[in-house]
Amino acid sequence: MSNIIKTIDVTDSLENLKDVCDIENGRIAGKIFYDQAIYEQELEKIFARCWLFVAHESQIPDTGDYITTTMGEDEVIVIRQKDGGIKVFLNACPHRGNKVCFAESGTTRGFICNYHGWSFNVQGNLVGQHESGIYEASDFDKAKWGLKEVAQVDSWKGLVFATFDPEAPTLQEYLGPMTWYLDALFDNQEGGTEFVGGCIRSTYECNWKIAAENFVGDILHAGWTHDSAARAMLGGSVAKVSDFDESYSVNWNGHGYEFALDTVGNVAVLGESALNKYLHTIKPSVAERLGEFRSNMIGAVSSCTLFPNFSFLAGQNTVRVWQPRGPNKIELFTWVVVNKSAPQEIKEKWRKGAMMTFSPTGVFEMDDGENWEYCTKTAKGRVTAAQDLYIGLGMNTLQRDTSLPGNVYKGQLNEANARAYYQQWFDHLSTKRWSELPDRNIGKKEAE
Amino acid sequence: MSAQSENQTEQLYPVSLEQHHKVSCFLAYEYRLLDEECFDDWLALMHEDVHYWMPGIENRRRENLLEHGFYAGDHMAYFDDSLRDLGRRVARFKQPSAWAENPGTRNVHQVSNIEVYYGETDGEYVVHSVFQSVRSRGLDEEYVIYGRRKDVLVQQGGSFKIKKRLILIPSATLSCKNINTFL
Amino acid sequence: MEKVYLCNVSELAENQVKRIDNSEHGDIAVYNLGGNYYATADLCTHATASLAEGDIEDEMIVCPVHWGQFHIPTGRAQGFPCETDLRTYPVEIEGDAIYALVEVAAPALIAKG
Repeated sequence: MSNIIKTIDVTDSLENLKDVCDIENGRIAGKIFYDQAIYEQELEKIFARCWLFVAHESQIPDTGDYITTTMGEDEVIVIRQKDGGIKVFLNACPHRGNKVCFAESGTTRGFICNYHGWSFNVQGNLVGQHESGIYEASDFDKAKWGLKEVAQVDSWKGLVFATFDPEAPTLQEYLGPMTWYLDALFDNQEGGTEFVGGCIRSTYECNWKIAAENFVGDILHAGWTHDSAARAMLGGSVAKVSDFDESYSVNWNGHGYEFALDTVGNVAVLGESALNKYLHTIKPSVAERLGEFRSNMIGAVSSCTLFPNFSFLAGQNTVRVWQPRGPNKIELFTWVVVNKSAPQEIKEKWRKGAMMTFSPTGVFEMDDGENWEYCTKTAKGRVTAAQDLYIGLGMNTLQRDTSLPGNVYKGQLNEANARAYYQQWFDHLSTKRWSELPDRNIGKKEAE
Repeated sequence: MSAQSENQTEQLYPVSLEQHHKVSCFLAYEYRLLDEECFDDWLALMHEDVHYWMPGIENRRRENLLEHGFYAGDHMAYFDDSLRDLGRRVARFKQPSAWAENPGTRNVHQVSNIEVYYGETDGEYVVHSVFQSVRSRGLDEEYVIYGRRKDVLVQQGGSFKIKKRLILIPSATLSCKNINTFL
Repeated sequence: MEKVYLCNVSELAENQVKRIDNSEHGDIAVYNLGGNYYATADLCTHATASLAEGDIEDEMIVCPVHWGQFHIPTGRAQGFPCETDLRTYPVEIEGDAIYALVEVAAPALIAKG
C-alpha cells in the first residue's frame, strides 16, 4: 500500500545554452550563477531527476528514527522502517499540503498533521483522521491518501540517496566507478562510518554550483585562498600540491574526485597529530582491505563532489550538501563523518577539528565564503554575466592507458573535473528525460 | 533553551551592586576589544583552562530533546574551543593573507541582561547575559547574531579571566555564511 | 449477561493485545498485562481506530491513530485527544479460555466489525 509521487511535467530546454556553457571550448558564463530561468530548469531537470543525498544510515538506526531534509527545494522526511528499510516521503500532508514534521530529527510513532489531524504511521500509511466519521460517510479510501513516497531510495556504504525520477538509473549505475573511490573514506575499516550527532546549517548568498564545483576538482585554490588558515593551523603555508609526484582528477557522470596520494595532507590541517597517527596506524589494514593505492587516499589532499550537490573532504572528514534556495542562495548542511571503529578520543578530535576548519566558524571556510558569494554577485550585472569565464586548465591530460576506473586525468591541479561537472549540468538541462542523456564517459567502469 | 530547567539555586546569591558593576564593565570592555580588533588583548582575557563553547542548535520536538534540550555536548558545534583553538583563530585574523578580512569587518558587539551570582568556589562568578553582534562587510553586507551566554569568570588581580563560556543562539539555521568574530 | 468467548490463554502472550471481531457487541480488545487479563471495547472513543493495533505502555493502551491513551484496567481516557472513557468488560478464565462478560441491555459502541 504505497503512494508514489506523481512525476512533474518537464518544460522545453532554454535556447542558447551553449552561450553560457561551452565546455568543448573551455568556457562558461556567470549567468549560470545568477539567472532565475536557469534555476527553474535546474529544479526540474536536475533536482527532480538526479539522485540526491538525504541521510547517513547512522542517523536513523532504529524503527521510527527520522531526519528531515530537502531534495532541491522539496521538503522530505527520511524514516527507518520496521523491516530495516528506509522510506523517504514528501513532508506535506496529502490533504492541504501542510508540513507534517517540524523537527529536524527524532523518533516517532508517526506523523499527525496539525491542521485536520490526519495521522500517518511510520510506513506513511494514513491510519486515521480527526472526525473520521465524516470521511467514512464520503466513501473516503484511506489507502489512496498516505504520505507521498519518492520514486527510489538506495544507499552506498551508509550514504542514503533518493530520487524523484522513476526513470533514473539505479544508484550504482548513477555513481558508476566513483564508488571505488568513495570506499577510500566510507569503507576503509570494518563497520564502516557514522555521522557525528547534529548538523550545522548556515546560509550563503551564492549559487549552489559554484560551491559544488569547488569541491569537485578545485584544489588549485587551496594554496592561495587558504594561506592564512594554513599558517594559523600549521604555522606554514598549504602543502605545495604542484610538488606531488602523483595525483589525479577522476570523474564520471559529472561526479568528480581529485586527490593526491600523500595519505595525510588533508587531515594534517586539523593540527591534531593524533589524527595523523590514527590514519597511519590503520593504513596497513586499509591496504589489505582496499589495496595500497586507496590506502594512500584516506586523508590525502583531496576533495569530492557527487553530482549535483553532495561534497566531502576525506581527512577533514567534513560532509556537506549545498541545498539550493534560489539562484543566489544556498543553505549549507554540514556534518562530520568518522569510522565507527575509531576510538572515542579520535572521533572527538575529528568533531572539533572539522568545526575548527570547515564550518561557519572554520578558519578555512571563512575565505571560501567570500569567493563564492562574489562569483555569484558579480553576475548580477547583465553585461558581466555574459562574459566568458575561463575553465580550460588541463585540457590535454586525459589518461587512456590507466588501470584506474573512471575518466582519469593526470594531476589534481586541473579543471577537468569542473568541465565534466558543467558538461553534465548542460546535458541535463538540454534533455527532457534520462534516456536522452548522452553518455560521455570514456574510462573504465570497473577497477582492474 | 527554556526546554530544560537549569540550576535555580545560583539565583539565590546575587553579588553586590559594586561587584556587579565591575563584571558589567569587564564584559563591555571585552566587547570593545573585539570591536577594535584587539585580538591579542581579547585572548589575554581567557583563563588558561578556558572552554569556549557555542553548540549547534537542533530543532527537535519536546518529546525528543537532547542532553541539554536543543543541544548536546558531543554534537556538532560552532565553537568548542580550548585556549589553543582560540589562539589559532586569532592567528588567522592576523595573517595578511586572510583575504576575507581585508577590507576589514566593522563590528559592534552589545551585551545586556547581565546577572552575576557567586560561583561554586571563592573568586568564581556565574554570569548570565544576552548579546547581539552586528557585523558589516563591504558596502552592504550586514549580519546580526544574538543569543544568550552563561559564563564562569574567575577573579584575577583587579580583573577577571573567562574560564567558561556557553553561547546559545536561538537559530537552528545560521542566517549568515560565517562568524568571523567572537561572541 | 452474556459470556463472550475471546481467545485462548495460550494465544495471548504477556504484554500483548488482540482484537476479537464481534458484530453484535462491537469488536473487543483483550489484553494480557503481566499475567492479568482485561477486555475493553476495541474502537477508540475519539476517532475510528482499532486499539488492538496500538502499543501497550505500562498499563496504558496507546491508540495508533492520534496516540491518545486509555488505562486498560479501568478504561479511563487519559491523554489528549481522548476524553470519553472506554467501555470495559469483566474477564473470566475457564481452563484455557478467556471470556468477556457483556451486559446485553447496555448500549454498546458498535465497531465496524
